[in-house]
Amino acid sequence: MILWNRILVGLDESEPSLNALRYLAGVLGGSNTSKVRLLAVYLPPDPDSHPDPGQRADLAAERRLALEARLAQAYHMLVEARLARENLSTDLVEAGGRTVGQVIMDYQAEGGYGTVVVGRRRLSKAEEFLFGSVSSTVVHTATDCCVWVVA
Amino acid sequence: MPSSGMDLKRQAEELLGNKLDRVRLVHDTTQFMELERGDVLGLDGRRYLITGVAYEGRFGLDEEPKHWVKRALDFSDGSQKLIKLVFFEEFDLPIGLLKVRCYRSPAKESRILELVRGRPQFMQGITHLDPSGNQVRVLDRVPGQSLDKRLDALRLDHRAWFDGLLRPMLERFLGSLEAIAFLHGQGERHGDIRRDHIFVHNEDQRWVWIDFDYNFDFKQSPFGLDLFGLGNVLCYVVGRGIPTLRQIKQERPQTLDLLDTGDLSPVIPNRVFNLKKLYPYLPEELNRVLMHFAASAPIYYERVEEMIEDLRPAIAKLPQPVREEAP
Ligand SMILES: Nc1ncnc2c1ncn2[C@@H]1O[C@H](COP(=O)(O)OP(=O)(O)OP(=O)(O)O)[C@@H](O)[C@H]1O
Ligand SMILES: [Mg+2]
Repeated sequence: MILWNRILVGLDESEPSLNALRYLAGVLGGSNTSKVRLLAVYLPPDPDSHPDPGQRADLAAERRLALEARLAQAYHMLVEARLARENLSTDLVEAGGRTVGQVIMDYQAEGGYGTVVVGRRRLSKAEEFLFGSVSSTVVHTATDCCVWVVA
Repeated sequence: MPSSGMDLKRQAEELLGNKLDRVRLVHDTTQFMELERGDVLGLDGRRYLITGVAYEGRFGLDEEPKHWVKRALDFSDGSQKLIKLVFFEEFDLPIGLLKVRCYRSPAKESRILELVRGRPQFMQGITHLDPSGNQVRVLDRVPGQSLDKRLDALRLDHRAWFDGLLRPMLERFLGSLEAIAFLHGQGERHGDIRRDHIFVHNEDQRWVWIDFDYNFDFKQSPFGLDLFGLGNVLCYVVGRGIPTLRQIKQERPQTLDLLDTGDLSPVIPNRVFNLKKLYPYLPEELNRVLMHFAASAPIYYERVEEMIEDLRPAIAKLPQPVREEAP
């Protein structure tokens, strides 16, 4: 069942995802009507690109750490904005061959989140063409929820 | 029975049909720079005579030797092979104004060779592990030329191309698209789709994909780079060369005013994709496929199947060639 006051926030290491969070803190600050799940999607380094196992393990640890730090920082920002701790939680999931956008939307469907919040990287047309965009994937695949794209 | 050094030299010369100064039997390929004409690679009980090194086929870089790619002859049947040795490199590949981190991956190429075995739209080959564990890829040389060499050699104006050859060419391209769709369906990517990575087979003129060793850090769109490459090949085939703004300025300045930035590639903004503005006789359906790769496109293709679905009916609108055979 989809619940409107269950909010899913997609976070990465980039600045725009923090902007999305600041906006959320501004809107929800002080209220205790919503549950917020902060989600970071971890993409393990590709063995084809990083064949050396030691190097790959270092890179993996580095990426995980960056995401964990971001989740901690985001949690703290929402606590500062006077959201109750019992309404806040974080999760780090591995993409497992899926793209970040797919993972976010799978998570949304499984957890019954009524609202999905993402930032926007302001990609150029060329970048969007070659690499795709998480926010547009989220917007285009959402069927039963509300999406906030914070630009 | 182990053959003596003299035997090997005689066998190698017989295979080559020519004298060799010196013949060495080599098993380890780690120092690939040192392997040269006259060296015999012994791998998994098979032998290959190295006859030379491959040269960069890429436009403008014709003279650069690629020391990790050797030309060779198979001792068992005298057939021509290309042998790709393990060479890791990592670099930023410029694509238009962007740079993409690119990795050369022998493992990826070996895996794809297994996957495409027996499929005529892909080069064929096997992998041997040398004593140091290097993945040595032994490729059957596709007898033929790359698509760009083949098409650039044709002396035809665009109208003659359109009337006589475009349809059979695009039918072959459709086969190449289906091949890439198969690869994507298996969770793999070609990685370096360009018109010189399609070889036109001498026997039946089929188009064969070569070179699978590029890998990238993929972002949200897993097939974006392959699709970008396919769009470029399509534009190249339909336009018989991708027209650039500079060319148009020189050759047909009157059409320059018709073009705006929406007609150009968003990635390489001097390439014209709205070919109908240059060649008004192109069917609307075909131009619409091209426009998915132009800056004005509201959405881009995300999967090859979407491109195939649009291209197939567009090809049906093209004139049937009078002559049957095509280059
Ligand atoms: N199976 C094949 N049949 C015929 N020619 C081939 C084949 N594979 C490669 N070649 C030729 O050898 C050249 C080098 O091979 P290939 O492109 O696979 O090497 P590479 O080192 O991966 O090159 P790149 O710089 O494009 O990554 C090709 O450009 C082509 O001319
Ligand atoms: Mg290559």
